[in-house]
Amino acid sequence: MKSIYIDKDDNFINELEDKLKKNTQLSSWELFSMAYAAEQTTMVPNFTGLRALEFLPHVTFLEHQIQTAERVVEQMNGRAILADEVGLGKTIEAGLVLKEYMIRGLVKKALLLVPASLVNQWEKELNEKFYLPAVAYRKNMSWEQGNIIISSLDTAKRVQHQDTILDLDYDFVLVDEAHKLKNHKTKNYQFVRSLKKKYCLLLTATPVQNELLEIFNLVSILKPGHLGSYDSFKASYGNDRKTMKQDLYLKQLVQKVMVRNTRKDTGLNQIKRHIETIWTEFSCEEAEVYQALEESTMLFPSFSKITFLRELCSSREACYLSLKKLLEENPELESVQGVIEKIEQLPHHQKAAKVVELINNIGTEKVIIFTEYRATQFYLQYYLKQHGISSVPFRGGFKRGKKDWMRQLFKDHAQVLIATEAGGEGINLQFCNYMINYDLPWNPMRLEQRIGRIHRYGQEKDVFIYNFAIRNTVEEHIMKLLYEKIHLFENVIGDLDAILSELSIQNMEQEIEQIYTESETAGEAKIKLQNLSAIIEAEQQSNLEEKRYGDT
Amino acid sequence: MAIHDLNAFLHAFFKAHHCQILSNDNGVLSIQLTEEMDKVLMNRPFYWHYMKKMGYAGDPMKLTLITNPDKRQEKGEWIHFGSPRLQQIIRYLQDTKKYTKLFQQLSPNKNTPLYPWLVTNIKISYQGKHKRDELFSIGLNLINGVMHAKMMDVLNTISLEKTIADYCYTLSPMIKMESGFNRIKSVLDQYIENQEHQWAVDSLQALEEETKLLHHFYTEDKEDEMMKRELQEIQERFQPKILYQVINGGLFYLATETS
Repeated sequence: MKSIYIDKDDNFINELEDKLKKNTQLSSWELFSMAYAAEQTTMVPNFTGLRALEFLPHVTFLEHQIQTAERVVEQMNGRAILADEVGLGKTIEAGLVLKEYMIRGLVKKALLLVPASLVNQWEKELNEKFYLPAVAYRKNMSWEQGNIIISSLDTAKRVQHQDTILDLDYDFVLVDEAHKLKNHKTKNYQFVRSLKKKYCLLLTATPVQNELLEIFNLVSILKPGHLGSYDSFKASYGNDRKTMKQDLYLKQLVQKVMVRNTRKDTGLNQIKRHIETIWTEFSCEEAEVYQALEESTMLFPSFSKITFLRELCSSREACYLSLKKLLEENPELESVQGVIEKIEQLPHHQKAAKVVELINNIGTEKVIIFTEYRATQFYLQYYLKQHGISSVPFRGGFKRGKKDWMRQLFKDHAQVLIATEAGGEGINLQFCNYMINYDLPWNPMRLEQRIGRIHRYGQEKDVFIYNFAIRNTVEEHIMKLLYEKIHLFENVIGDLDAILSELSIQNMEQEIEQIYTESETAGEAKIKLQNLSAIIEAEQQSNLEEKRYGDT
Repeated sequence: MAIHDLNAFLHAFFKAHHCQILSNDNGVLSIQLTEEMDKVLMNRPFYWHYMKKMGYAGDPMKLTLITNPDKRQEKGEWIHFGSPRLQQIIRYLQDTKKYTKLFQQLSPNKNTPLYPWLVTNIKISYQGKHKRDELFSIGLNLINGVMHAKMMDVLNTISLEKTIADYCYTLSPMIKMESGFNRIKSVLDQYIENQEHQWAVDSLQALEEETKLLHHFYTEDKEDEMMKRELQEIQERFQPKILYQVINGGLFYLATETS
C-alpha cells in the first residue's frame, strides 16, 4: 500500500560493523537472548485490548473503569470526555488510558492540567498506582525536558510559560475539571484549544450545566466539526440543554466522544449512606438572644439579619465577630451593642456539646466536621481539645503542601478534621466514613461536594452523615422544608444539578437569602420555601421518567 | 521464548552479571550486587562518585526481589511485569545487549569451518488508529545467501560462546554485512507487501472523515493557522505507519550451512 509510510532502522548495521571492528559492547549469548525474551514480553501483539492490566497486577479495577479505558482507546481513538459522576474514578480511567498509550509507545510527552489543589494527588496516584513517572510542575522546571508534567491550568497559561508550552508537541493532554472550559471565549479555552496534542482527555462530572453550547465547546476541543460549526449548531439545536434529551441524533453524536458512568449502572450504590438529623435546642439564654436578633427592627444592611441568625446557630463566636464588625462600620447602630453584650454572656453552644457526645459515641473512628464559618472552626477545635478530642483544621486557603500535611496528620494522628466550606473540594478522605455537617450550606451542590469527599471510589465502609440543626430556628426551616423535602441527602447531586439549571436557579443560596429578606414574617418565608421545594420536587418526578442524556 | 518464569529470568540475569545469589527460595530471590550492577540498578551516582573520590572501594547493596505474590509481605521488593524495577532491567538489557559476535561450540577432531551468519531480531510496528507489534528473528548465511526465519529458535538449541573453539576456523563472508542487511529488509518488505492492511484502510478512512469534519467546522478561513495545526494533529493520529526497529543482532559463526 502506497499510502502507508514506512520507516526503517538503517542505523543498526553501521553500528554493528563499528562494534565488530572495535570489538566492544558485544554481548554474551545469554544476555543477548534475554534481551530478546524481554522484547517478546513487552511487545504488544494486538491492536485491541488493554495491555496495561497485565502491568498493574496490584490494582483492582472496577469493571466500568476497564470498559471505559478500552472504549477510549479502541473506539474513540484517544480523544474523549470522561464524564462519570463524582467518585467513580475518572482519575483511574484516565491513568489507565495514559498507561496503555505509554506501553504501546504512542505517548512519550504528556501534559496534565488539573486544579492546583489536586496536583499532588494526581502525582501520587500516577506514581504509585500506575508507575508513571509523572512530576508536578515546580518553579524553574523546564517544560521541554519533563515527559509527564502535571500542572494547574493557571500556572501553565501564565505569560512566561504559555509560549513555551504552545510550541511543544504533546502526545497526550488531559484537563481535569474541564467544565471550566465550557465558554469558548475564555483564555482557558483558547489556551487548551491551541495546545498541540495528539490524544486528549477532558474530565468533568458535569459536562453540561446550563447551556447546550457548553457541550459544543468541549467537543470542539476534541473533534472540531463533529457537531458542525458554531453557527450551524446554534441554528439547528438552539441553546436549550433539553434539546439533547429530545434529539436522538445529537445524543448519539455526543456519545461518540463522551463516556458517562453513573452510580446506578456501576453498582457502586452498594455502599450505603446513613443519614441522620441531629436536633438540638437552644438553651434559654441562647433562645433569648436569637429572638432578640430576629425581632429586632434595626435597619441592618440587606441580607445581614438572616446571616447573623445563621451564625448564631453555628457559634457565639461567628455571630459575635460579625456584629462587632457591623458596629465598627456603622457606629450609628448602637443597639447592636446590647446584643453583643448578651452574646458575651452566653455559655458554651448547645451544638458543640452535642458534637462531643456524638463523637464519644462513635468511639475511635475518624470524623470530619464541616462548618461554614472560620470562627466556628476555631471554637470547635478549642472545645474538642477541652474534651480530650484531637483535631486538625482544614481550609481551602491552605497551600498545597499544607493541605497534604493536614490530611496526613488527620490520617495518622488526629481523630477529627474540622473543615470550612472552601475545604470541600479537592481532598480525598476515603479512609474516613463519618461526617458531621455542623451547619448546612444553603447551596445543595456544596453539600454534595462535602459528602463526595468520603462517599467516593475507594470507600469500603458505609458512610454515616449527621446533620445538625437547631429547632425553632432558620435551620429547622431549611432542613425540614427544603432538604428533607427534596430528599437531598439520598439523591446523587448530578440530578439536582440538572434540575436546578432547568429551573434556571443559578444560585440556590441567593434564592433562599432572597426569600428571607423579602419576607415580612417567618410564616411568609416558610411558605415561599415550601413553594421552592415543591417546584424542585415536581421537576424531580418528571426527570425520573426520562433518562438523562449520555446515559445508556 | 518470552519470559515465562520471572524468577528464573532474574536469577539468570544476575548470575550472568557475576552477582552472588544469597538465597532463592519459593519466589524470594536475594542477591549481593556487584559494583557494576549497583551502579546500573540502585540509582545512587553520588555515593559512587564520593567513594571513588575518597579512594574507598564502596559497598554494593543487597537486593531482594519477590516474584511470588503470596510472599509480598516479606521484606524485599515485589517485582512483576509492570514494576519499575523490571522495566529498569529490561531497558538496561535493550540498551546494552544490542550487538554480539558469537561462535558455535563444537569439539571436532579435525579442522571444521564455521559459516558467518548475520542475525537480526526486528520488531515491526503497525501504527494507525491503533498499534501492534510483530517480532522477527531472521538469519542470513553471508556465504550462500540462505535465510532462516526463526533464527533465535535455532540458536537456542546450540551452544554459543564469545570465543572460537579449537580446530574451528571461520570462513570469510561473500556478502557484505550491509547488503545482507538490505536483503533481510527486502524480505520484510515483501512480507508487508503481501499482507492485507485492513488496519491501514480503517485508519485512512478515519483520517479522511476527521479531515472532512474539520473543514466543516471552519466556515470562514480566518482561523487558518489553527486549522493547519489541527489538520496536522489528525494526520499524526491516523496516518498509517509501519516501523522497523532492530532489537538486537550480530554476527554468528555456525557450523551449519543452511541451518
